[in-house]
Amino acid sequence: MNSINKSIAESLCRIVGEDFVIEDLDKKQSYLYDQVMETVRPAANENSIVVKPSCTDEISKIMRLANDNAVPVVVRGGGTGLSGGAIPVRESIVMSMERLNNILEVDRANMVAVLEPGVTLADIIEEMDNHQGIWFPAHPGDEGAHIGGMAATNAGGSRAVKHGVMRKHIQGMEVVLANGEVVNLGGKLVKDNAGYNLMNLIIGSDGTLAVITKVILRLYPEEKYSGTIIASFESLTDASAACLEIIASGSVPLAVEYQDRDLWRGTARMVGRKWQLEKGDADIMIIVSEPDEEKFYSTCRRIYEVCKKNKACEQYFAGKKSEQADLLKIRSQMYEFSRQRTSHAFDMAVPVGQIAAFLGDLRKLFAKYDTTTNITAHVADGNIHNDILLINGKTAPYVEELKTEMYALCFSYGGTITGEHGVGKLRRKDLTKQKSETELALMRGIKHTFDPKGILNPDTLLESTCLV
Amino acid sequence: MNIIVLIKEVPDMERVRFDRARGVIDRISSEGEINPLDLWALQSAVDIKNRHGGCVTAMSMGPERSIASLRDAFARGADNCILLSDRRFAGSDTYATSRVLAGAISRMNPDLIICGEKTVDGDTAQVGAEVAELLDIPHSYYVESIDSMEDSGVVVTVSDICGSKQQRRMKLPALIAVNRSIAYPLLPALERKLESISLNVQKMGISELSGVVGENDAGLNGSPTKVSKIVIPDIVKRKGKIFQNDGSDNFINAFKTAVQRRPGHE
Repeated sequence: MNSINKSIAESLCRIVGEDFVIEDLDKKQSYLYDQVMETVRPAANENSIVVKPSCTDEISKIMRLANDNAVPVVVRGGGTGLSGGAIPVRESIVMSMERLNNILEVDRANMVAVLEPGVTLADIIEEMDNHQGIWFPAHPGDEGAHIGGMAATNAGGSRAVKHGVMRKHIQGMEVVLANGEVVNLGGKLVKDNAGYNLMNLIIGSDGTLAVITKVILRLYPEEKYSGTIIASFESLTDASAACLEIIASGSVPLAVEYQDRDLWRGTARMVGRKWQLEKGDADIMIIVSEPDEEKFYSTCRRIYEVCKKNKACEQYFAGKKSEQADLLKIRSQMYEFSRQRTSHAFDMAVPVGQIAAFLGDLRKLFAKYDTTTNITAHVADGNIHNDILLINGKTAPYVEELKTEMYALCFSYGGTITGEHGVGKLRRKDLTKQKSETELALMRGIKHTFDPKGILNPDTLLESTCLV
Repeated sequence: MNIIVLIKEVPDMERVRFDRARGVIDRISSEGEINPLDLWALQSAVDIKNRHGGCVTAMSMGPERSIASLRDAFARGADNCILLSDRRFAGSDTYATSRVLAGAISRMNPDLIICGEKTVDGDTAQVGAEVAELLDIPHSYYVESIDSMEDSGVVVTVSDICGSKQQRRMKLPALIAVNRSIAYPLLPALERKLESISLNVQKMGISELSGVVGENDAGLNGSPTKVSKIVIPDIVKRKGKIFQNDGSDNFINAFKTAVQRRPGHE
């Protein structure tokens, strides 16, 4: 690996203009980390240099420069990731995509939008307001996320229950390879069965295979009627049974979210709202969206009946937009509420039918260590976010041991170490516990084919072995 | 305790669009909802009912589509819902609206009438007080709490106005217009929401109000004021430009020129 010498810095200035190269540490601080907690995040290399290209051609030139000089390149989107993917742990060119923020086209006939990678989720939502009858339903959380980052991490989020993760929403991409070549993958096609699907390899590759410079995003008919139901149950087993029955009934909600009650209540208090559920012990939030009013209320009625049958204690309904937004805020701000007391955050997923049993075993495991865990779960897709808590403000001595036991438990249920946050730099070693050596060797082969010198986001997803 | 809550259906002001050319609200752009401040009024009525017993009636004057908001009021705890609707009510200003509402209320003998301090689409804050004056009952605006409620009267605290806070005692029946401190609007129970979808809402027009509301009391005929046009200010979009300080006079000159070109900086 080479360091960034003066000549490389000057070349970068020539490519993008000196206004768009940052070497001053104060100014580049905000480009060095993502949303991973300080307790677990790897240290960024502060000698890294930030560069802000404005077009594919500039990115191509930067990649050629980096490849020729074997300098690592870490592509940065909105910095909202939760696996350390955007942290430059080696001296790197941090390539911020913030200037590539144009919505190039909204093609109603083909129901796609062509976007530059720096377009944020908030931009997409705002743009869709200008196009009656169509929308982009996925919502992986932070609306500051860039579409390029959402693609590179195959982001999920709560609405994956009904609409799936990012891989389902992307039809085409323009990418720049490690050597600077520009390649177009997929397109506005609904069907494309020509050869290996390289695009789907790049989606979710955490910026290790190519730089995404354009995304063709699938759009959908708007589901105009929406509402949020909150329901409490005596136990998570009852709540989980209700969720499975709702899905099996064919009335697939947009999202089904579980959180421990103290998380619901505490986050509600933090954002100045009230959490209305009081009876029972397991609270879920179900978001429903349908294209017409009749279907919407029919779905709500079915959910009501299924919850009642599964011994729901209370059920409330938010139909007013501001009330729905309030509930969503309580859900989405939970991370901010809990991060002060969290040491390690996890993102495991198990088959949906096993989630109640898994969470029960998880709680027993934490009790063995004489501690508790925060639990948030996308119940209907089996994805659990639970935390190891700080003890007196410090990381507990048993963290690694507990983590090993948690993963063993997860694997015993046929689960995975990460449902949506991705491997990034945080779970690189954990990946080797889940994947066989054969699988890992295939992954290394893919990485080597795309990026022989290993300059793209080294130390991410796989151990870096190829850097010159 | 019989309580009437006055509610108005308004567009969702965060989503509604304006037809700037015609100077009117494009009502198709946003679904109607209960005026947000009326939600606080309704919740405070339901809270009183839960503490003291009684019955809450939600009353609205408006077009047929306002039934949706009355159904929502039912879902949120109202026992009865009444829509005052008649094409001859169309175009009513605050005074004509108050006359229709007061006429309908005069037949119902309520103990307490509660409304929000104003509606977010009209912002006049007049209807509640006018209704009370027409009924010749005491009223208080900007009520932030109901301190006691007995058959003989109600004691309320009026929020800080010009540095003073007042506690007022009023004989019943009385009218109070509340602000957001009065209650925390709760979500409706899902069961009741589903029940509300097919709720039959009682409707009253000029003929049902015969004797208390005349043809010349409502609509344009009964309105001494008229809104000739609503002017919606244009949205000013800010522009950004980066000026590079290269040490020459060009930087200062370019900057000066840009500032001087701005309207109002000639």
